[in-house]
Amino acid sequence: MRVAYSLHLVCRDRLSLNGALMQRLRNDFQEMIREQFEFRELLIQMTARDLLLRYKQTAMGLGWALLSPTLNTIIFSVIFMRVAPVDTRVPYPLFAYCGLLAWNFTASALRFAVTSLTANTNMVTKVYFPREIFPFSAVAVSLVDFAVAATVLAAMMMYYHVAPTATVLLLPAVVAVHATLTLALALMLSMANLFYRDVKYIFELVLNVWMFASAIVYPVDAIGGVAGMVIRANPMTAVVEAYRHVLLYGTPPDPLSFGSAAILSVVLLPTTWVVFHRSEFRFAENI
Amino acid sequence: MGARRVVFDRVWKEFARGERHDSLRDLIPAAVKRLRRRGQHGGRDTFWALQDVSFEVHAGEAFGIIGRNGAGKSTVLKLLTRILKPSRGACAVIGRSGALIEIAAGFHPDLTGRENVFLQGAIMGMRRAEISARFDEIVSFAGVEPFIDTPVKRYSSGMNARLGFSIAAHLNPDVLLVDEILAVGDLAFQEKCQARMTHFRSQGVAIVFVSHHLPAVAQLCNQVLLLEQGRAAKIGTPAEVIAAYCSGHATNEQEDVAISATLRTRVPAGNAFAADAFEVEPGDPLMLEVDVHFRVDVERATVGIVVWDLTRELYVYGASSDFVGIPPIRARAGDIRTFNFRFEAHLTRGLYAIEVNVVDLDRQRFLAVARGICHFHVREQVSYDGVANLYLSGCDAAAGRALHAARPALAR
Repeated sequence: MRVAYSLHLVCRDRLSLNGALMQRLRNDFQEMIREQFEFRELLIQMTARDLLLRYKQTAMGLGWALLSPTLNTIIFSVIFMRVAPVDTRVPYPLFAYCGLLAWNFTASALRFAVTSLTANTNMVTKVYFPREIFPFSAVAVSLVDFAVAATVLAAMMMYYHVAPTATVLLLPAVVAVHATLTLALALMLSMANLFYRDVKYIFELVLNVWMFASAIVYPVDAIGGVAGMVIRANPMTAVVEAYRHVLLYGTPPDPLSFGSAAILSVVLLPTTWVVFHRSEFRFAENI
Repeated sequence: MGARRVVFDRVWKEFARGERHDSLRDLIPAAVKRLRRRGQHGGRDTFWALQDVSFEVHAGEAFGIIGRNGAGKSTVLKLLTRILKPSRGACAVIGRSGALIEIAAGFHPDLTGRENVFLQGAIMGMRRAEISARFDEIVSFAGVEPFIDTPVKRYSSGMNARLGFSIAAHLNPDVLLVDEILAVGDLAFQEKCQARMTHFRSQGVAIVFVSHHLPAVAQLCNQVLLLEQGRAAKIGTPAEVIAAYCSGHATNEQEDVAISATLRTRVPAGNAFAADAFEVEPGDPLMLEVDVHFRVDVERATVGIVVWDLTRELYVYGASSDFVGIPPIRARAGDIRTFNFRFEAHLTRGLYAIEVNVVDLDRQRFLAVARGICHFHVREQVSYDGVANLYLSGCDAAAGRALHAARPALAR
C-alpha cells in the first residue's frame, strides 16, 4: 500500500540552478528512504522467499553456502601449498578461506542481482513497489549465506589456534564497507542488465578476471610493479585484506587502502541508487 | 460527493515502437547507423498510447473504462499505480491504493498458498500482522482451505485467481484499481467479486474498473470513460457511454436501407412510453420505435427484431414484423417509415443489445442489419445465471401461493 503525497508532475530535467538540483536530490533521497521504510516488510519477505525456495528445492539447503568457499579453499590450498607455495602470515587454508568467504559474498550477491529484475518480469510490469527491493534482497540473501559460511571460518580459527584480538571490534565497519560496495554494484548491474541483456555474460567474464585481480587467494605483498598497483588499487583487495587484518592478524586495516575503499563505497551507493531510482519508471517499458 | 481520490489531468503517454536495442552488441552498430542517418530520419519511431485523457474519481464512486484492445485502458491503470510515468500531464492516487492489475502477479509457483499470501500481501504493502489477522478470512473467501499448504503451481488457474483476488479484497484501500479480473473464474466467483466491489464502493472506496465485461461495468460504475486509440472518445453515464461504444460496433451491412431506432420504457408515474430505456426491471414493458429510410424500391419487406445477451453472447430472441400483424412493406426509394414494437423484458440480469434488420422477402436477402442499435440493462437480484426469467420464488406447499411476490405486476 502506498501513499502518494502529492501530484507528481513529470517533466524532463530542466535544471539550471544548483539549488534546484540539490533540492531535487534531497527529495529523491527522502522518497527512496521512505519507500524502503514503507516496504520493509517486502524486503524481508522476498529474502525469505529466496532462502526458502533454496531450502525446498535442494537437499543441501544452506549447505550450498559452505560448499563453494570450502571447495575452493581445498583447490587453492593444493595449488599454493604443494605446487607453488606462497608465504602467508597465517596458515594458508585459513588465509584462503577468509578471502574466498568475502569474495563469495560479493560474487554471489552480484550474480543473483544481475538477473534479479529480468527474472521477475511479471512483477516489474504488473505490480508496483520500489524496484530496489530486487537487488537488495539478492544482497540480503547472500549476506545470510555469508553469515552461515563464516561459522566455518570461526571453526578454522579455533583449529589453527588463531585467536581474534581487540581489532575484531572493527569487523562491523569492514562488513559495512563491503556490503555497501556490493549493494552499489548490485543496483548498477541489475539495472544495466535490464536495459542491455548481454551485461550478464560480460559480467561473468569480468567477475572471473576480477577475482584474480583481487588478493583473494594470494598475499598482495607478493606482487610488485604495475600488476601490484592494479591489485592494490582494487577496492576488493582492500576489503579482503581488511578482513584478514582485523580477524587473523590482529591489526587494524591499512588506513589508505581501506579508507579509500570506504570513501568509494559511500559515494558509489547513493550515486547508483539515485540513478536506479530515477530510471525505475522506464523499467516496465524496457524489460 | 466524497473527497477526490484519483486525479488524471491531461495525461499523454508515449511508447517507443520499433526495435529496442537490448544488448550492448546491438547498441554499437545501431548507434553508428543512427549517426549516419541523422538528418534524413526525423524523430524516433513512437506512438501515443494515451492522448490528453483527463478524469477524476471521488470517494464512493466507481469509474469504468471501456474500449477495444489496445485502446489504452491498462496503460491508464499502470500510470495510476506508478508502474509507468506519464509523458505529459499529471496523475495521482490520493490515499492508500490497492491494485488488482494482475491479481496473482507476485505468486511464486514453488511456494505454498500460505507463503504466497504473505508474499503477495507484502507486495501490496500489508504488514505481516495485518495479513495474519485476516489470513483465515482470506483463505475462506478464496475457498482454497484444503490446499493452502500446497504449492500454487498445483493450483488450477481459477484457484490462483480466487486467492489473488481474495488477498486484494481484504486490503483496506481508499482506492481500488481493477483490471479485467472477471475474465477468469467461474460465474459464482465473478458474482463474489462484483459483490465485494459493490461493498467496497458503499464503504466509500473509489474504484477504477477496467473491463470488457460491459454488464459488470453497467452494474458497478456510475461514470464510464470510452477510450478509442488513446483518446477519450466519450465520458458520461454507463448508459450513454456503453451505447456509444456499442454503436461503434453497430453495422449497417447493406446500404439499401438506413435504420434508426429508439428504445423507450414507461415513465415511472404514468402509462406513456416516454423515458429512454436503459435501466429496466425484469418484466418491464419496452417500446421500440424503428425508423426505416428506404433507398431502393421494395415490393415486400419485413422488419426483424433480434435481442442479444451481451454477457453470454447469446441469441436470445428473434421475431419479425410479418408475424405480428404488420403486412409486408411496400416502399419506394426515399420513403421513411416508422414502426412501433412492444415487448417485455422477461430476462435475467445483464446487458442486452437489440438488432434491427430489414429483409426483402422476394429476393430473400437482408436490405440492412443494424447490430447493437439499442441497449438495455436488466437489474435484478434473484437469478445468478441464465437468460429467461422464470421468476423463482419461495412458496407455500399446499396452496402454491408465493411467499414473496417475485414476479412483477405486468402491464397487460
